[in-house]
Amino acid sequence: MKFTDYCLRSEGAEVVLATSSDEKFPPENIIDGRSDTFWATTGMFPQEFIISLNKCVTINKLTIQCYLVQTLRIEKSMSKEPVDFELCIQKELQSTEGELQIEEFSFPEMQASYLRFIILSAFDAFVSVHRVIADVIA
Amino acid sequence: LVKWTSSCLLMFCNDGAHFQKNYTLVSHVELFLFDSGGKELFAEILDRLWEQPNALCIVYDVTSEESFNNCTKWLEKLRAQTSGMHIPGVLVGNKTDLIDRRVVERNQAQEWAETNGLEYCEISVKEMENYEAPFRILANSFHQLYKEKVETFRSLV
Ligand SMILES: Nc1nc2c(ncn2[C@@H]2O[C@H](COP(=O)(O)OP(=O)(O)O)[C@@H](O)[C@H]2O)c(=O)[nH]1
Repeated sequence: MKFTDYCLRSEGAEVVLATSSDEKFPPENIIDGRSDTFWATTGMFPQEFIISLNKCVTINKLTIQCYLVQTLRIEKSMSKEPVDFELCIQKELQSTEGELQIEEFSFPEMQASYLRFIILSAFDAFVSVHRVIADVIA
Repeated sequence: LVKWTSSCLLMFCNDGAHFQKNYTLVSHVELFLFDSGGKELFAEILDRLWEQPNALCIVYDVTSEESFNNCTKWLEKLRAQTSGMHIPGVLVGNKTDLIDRRVVERNQAQEWAETNGLEYCEISVKEMENYEAPFRILANSFHQLYKEKVETFRSLV
């Protein structure tokens, strides 16, 4: 089976909502395919962002690269609009002093057109999200 | 800054015994201020409100020795809550308009603030004297924290 990352602007993905938007570290940095650019949160938690995948696809695995995130909740929607979200997973992440948190979640054949990431709590006042990768069965 | 002025006045004119008041200030960072009324010093409600604070502001009354002495209790309570982690902040002496009734001297308060790693300023809410200073200090320290964190994020990859 062949996988393609659908969380890329070049694949038609879009960030349709983000609760922080410092123009120096915009949410689009999450879907630019790079790990060195990031979205920074600028205030109190919870913080969240929603990625539109352009169409309903079958996801096999989700990867998030972030820093200082403590409680992460991932939801998905199969609708045409970003509504009716269902819980995929909620997890307490480990703190990784000085290096990116790289979290992989396997979801055999999960259908989704929108992905919602909610950062419920953090290890510090601010967190960064560098990349989200959605492996889609081509 | 424009947004602040009104909220900051609100904060001091309201009856501090109310449950909680939140104000949003927008620049590059958003500051949420929780105003805890003096009567809540030993109330359990604070344990929930004070989850993960990033800056603190203690206001005392320059005409009351007791009010000044209570600052130690507030700070101790906060430090207990944040497991001793250093939280930047400001000690504010209010009611400087009551010159004749003043009992806590500036030096004394300033010294206490310094010893405890806090900035210090004096205001009179009644005369609207210097009332923006504490907010500016809080916003600056939060923004400073943001700038430092962002540099850390940048250095990760
Ligand atoms: N003279 C004077 N009175 C003040 C000033 N600020 C507050 N007060 C009065 O002090 C009392 C307590 O104020 P409040 O804001 O309720 O205090 P809190 O409980 O700490 O929030 C009220 O009667 C206010 O009118 C001030 O700058 N000068």
